[in-house]
Amino acid sequence: MSERAPTLVLDRASVAYGDIPVLEELDGVVHEGEAVALIGPNGAGKSTFIKALLGLVPVVRGRIEVLGGPPAQARRDVAYVPQADTLDPDFPVSVEQVVMMGRYRRIGWLRRASAGDRAEVADALERVGLAGRARDRFGTLSGGQRQRVLLARAIAAKPRMLLLDEPFNGVDAVSQHALLEAIGSLKEQGASVVVSTHDLAIAHLACDEVCLLNHHQFGFGPTGDVLTPERLRATYGGHALELRGDRVIVTQT
Amino acid sequence: MLSPLARTLSSAALLVLFAAGCGGSDQPSTPADPAQPLKVVATTTQVADFARNIGGDRVRVHQLLRPNVDPHDYEPSPADMRAIAEADVLVKNGVGLEKWLEETISAAGFDGPVVDASTGVRIRDGDPHIWHNPLNAKTMVATIERGFAAADPGDSAAYQANRAAYDAKLDALDTEIAKRIESVPADRRKLVTNHDAFGYYLDRYKLTFVGSIIPSFDTSAELSAKQVSGLVAKIKATGVAAIFSEASLPPKTAEAIGREAGVTVVAGEDALFGDSLGPEGSAGATYLQMEEHNTDTIVNALRGTAV
Amino acid sequence: MMFFEPFQLPFMARALVELVLLGALAGTVGVLVLLRRLAFVSDTLTHTVFPGVVIGHLMAGDGGIFWGALAAGVVTAVLLTLLTHRRRVSEDAALAMLLTTLFAVGVVVVSRQTGFTSDLTAFLFGRVLTVTETQLAQTAVVTVVVVALLAVLRRPLLLRAFDPEGARAAGVRVGLLDLVLNVAVALVVVAAVKAVGTILVIALLVVPAAAARGLSDRLVVIVPLACLVGASAGWLGLVVSYEASVGYGVRLASGATVVLVLVAMYGLAHVAGFVRRKVGLSRARSAIVESAA
Repeated sequence: MSERAPTLVLDRASVAYGDIPVLEELDGVVHEGEAVALIGPNGAGKSTFIKALLGLVPVVRGRIEVLGGPPAQARRDVAYVPQADTLDPDFPVSVEQVVMMGRYRRIGWLRRASAGDRAEVADALERVGLAGRARDRFGTLSGGQRQRVLLARAIAAKPRMLLLDEPFNGVDAVSQHALLEAIGSLKEQGASVVVSTHDLAIAHLACDEVCLLNHHQFGFGPTGDVLTPERLRATYGGHALELRGDRVIVTQT
Repeated sequence: MLSPLARTLSSAALLVLFAAGCGGSDQPSTPADPAQPLKVVATTTQVADFARNIGGDRVRVHQLLRPNVDPHDYEPSPADMRAIAEADVLVKNGVGLEKWLEETISAAGFDGPVVDASTGVRIRDGDPHIWHNPLNAKTMVATIERGFAAADPGDSAAYQANRAAYDAKLDALDTEIAKRIESVPADRRKLVTNHDAFGYYLDRYKLTFVGSIIPSFDTSAELSAKQVSGLVAKIKATGVAAIFSEASLPPKTAEAIGREAGVTVVAGEDALFGDSLGPEGSAGATYLQMEEHNTDTIVNALRGTAV
Repeated sequence: MMFFEPFQLPFMARALVELVLLGALAGTVGVLVLLRRLAFVSDTLTHTVFPGVVIGHLMAGDGGIFWGALAAGVVTAVLLTLLTHRRRVSEDAALAMLLTTLFAVGVVVVSRQTGFTSDLTAFLFGRVLTVTETQLAQTAVVTVVVVALLAVLRRPLLLRAFDPEGARAAGVRVGLLDLVLNVAVALVVVAAVKAVGTILVIALLVVPAAAARGLSDRLVVIVPLACLVGASAGWLGLVVSYEASVGYGVRLASGATVVLVLVAMYGLAHVAGFVRRKVGLSRARSAIVESAA
């Protein structure tokens, strides 16, 4: 295994809105081609973690390094995938127009999209399995398909790091599969992936590392090592845990 | 293919050119054709009435303000604008009553003579309601006649004759009103009206003005609570017999004060015509009728007799 | 032909140019207002520009109206953006406060004047037939500036409207963009004060965009269509009020007539959109049937 460069370095970092710290003692490293799952209960700060990687929340202690520098400087090479159900389904925009938004950073505000840009858009849609729906209005797709389009948008930006905010929530099996495939191929190309999720099975399947979060970090390391019942119990505050076969299912009251 | 921006800009440019082309030549004012009636545009109901009486069949009068409409509140219609553009003479009341007139004339492109009917009238405190004194009406009518004669010298004899006839009626009106006011006992010759429209009338016939429901000459100003109780106190102190509400204003305010001060409120059908003439068929459809009606109403209320 | 004849009169031609320009301006800004669902914000701005109009008129007569409105509009846009981005109060509360306070200021100032009523109704409902060439020029400048600004910023505006989170993540200055939109709306109100007044301008902002949206799903069609709807309503409204006045002696306030024509066009667009969707559905159904056979 060749030496892979670190793309994300967390060094005992705390982030805060104003005076109130929201996340504390973040510590860990992610390398090129690796994926880390963010796991924790609702309100634990997973979205804040992602915002911090985008440079949108200030670091008040320790250090966060994205692609070798402070988060805000890395934005050009970092792509963010929000949850599709927060978007207006009536919006008059086509699937390919949404994906083209991913190219804006590179095209700028005024230049016309080139043939190269259009090729990237087509390629990104191909990778999520939606090439045939390019001309359709975004809102006419299913929830899972819309999520895939948002991933395609991120892919079209050719990022070195991908941040996904709960992309598997309420998504159908076909779309889930397509998302995992696309993430897998991005990893192969050397991009790092940070994905927040409730689904421990997905964490096992797709992610090399796991970060357990509930305002504090309760673990950061290889999936197999960190996803233990004790650590999960600590993260989720002692809520009921069920073990079914080799899968750990967390239920919250 | 032009970008949306370029398309918009060129369309805008084309439109501006179009407007410049259309806005180019205004019609120069031609002297009145002796065979055609003089085209007159008159602003208020009163000066329109005067214009018709002085002009007779030698003029065609287009009146801007409708009866019972507040002269402060006027929007020119396309027909009004067209009439102004094509007019030979424009007649206005003056004394700042038609604040909107200058803007309207300039937009319509009228550059002919504007007859200010208030020329030569002694103005009290900037009050524009000069017509309620028949002597002022004579002055106004004389000014209008001069204006018509200047624009249409061919018919000046007719205008002069019409004016002489109307003057006689105005003199008769003046005498009649004075007589009727005399029939009211001297200590009862005081009144409260809806607003300060009757200053010139009261001045001429020596009636006392106690206060008005609406303090300024503007019909939209509302009275504050302090002003209302002040007025009620004055009314009670002076022993005024009646309050008058004008035809062109809502009578509710007047009624409210009347109730508090315990006096009769003359409103609605019996109301006074302050700002404008009444519509056709009403008791105040012409200037002469209006002054007679107002006088009857005031005299009967002050005397305490039925109408 | 009654659709063109009236415009040989200079005042009608000026009114037409003013309304066509406003149609283009309000159509463009209106689409953005629609996408951002900001109709209430726009309504607030129409009320808050009012004291600026009053004070501008007080200080400099007719010529001062534009600058007073402009100052008030820009100040409100800034305040509005600051208030809603600080999140100290909810957007609705912030808007209600601004709207009522500033409108009340306008009314207080008005009530201290005498003889102001005619100007008041003019500001609220417009006097398009007496629009001057200076005012036309002002409208033209505002139209060009605003349309150019929105054209230059169309990509970040679109991204922010569609996906504010994604926009922030991509480094888009969301606060500044929102300020730009608020100022653009304020400018539309300022430009429209003379023609349709501050009360009716909201119709110009909202209706053409809504009508266009009902007819198409593509922004590249929606924007020019909204401009076209706005401009044609201006044209038709003038034709109708002219015919009514000159042909039949019926007074129809020009500004209000334009608004009524707009609403009628919205109704037609709605029906057309409905039909279009039905036709689209039945075509899809028959395509499925065919392919199954």
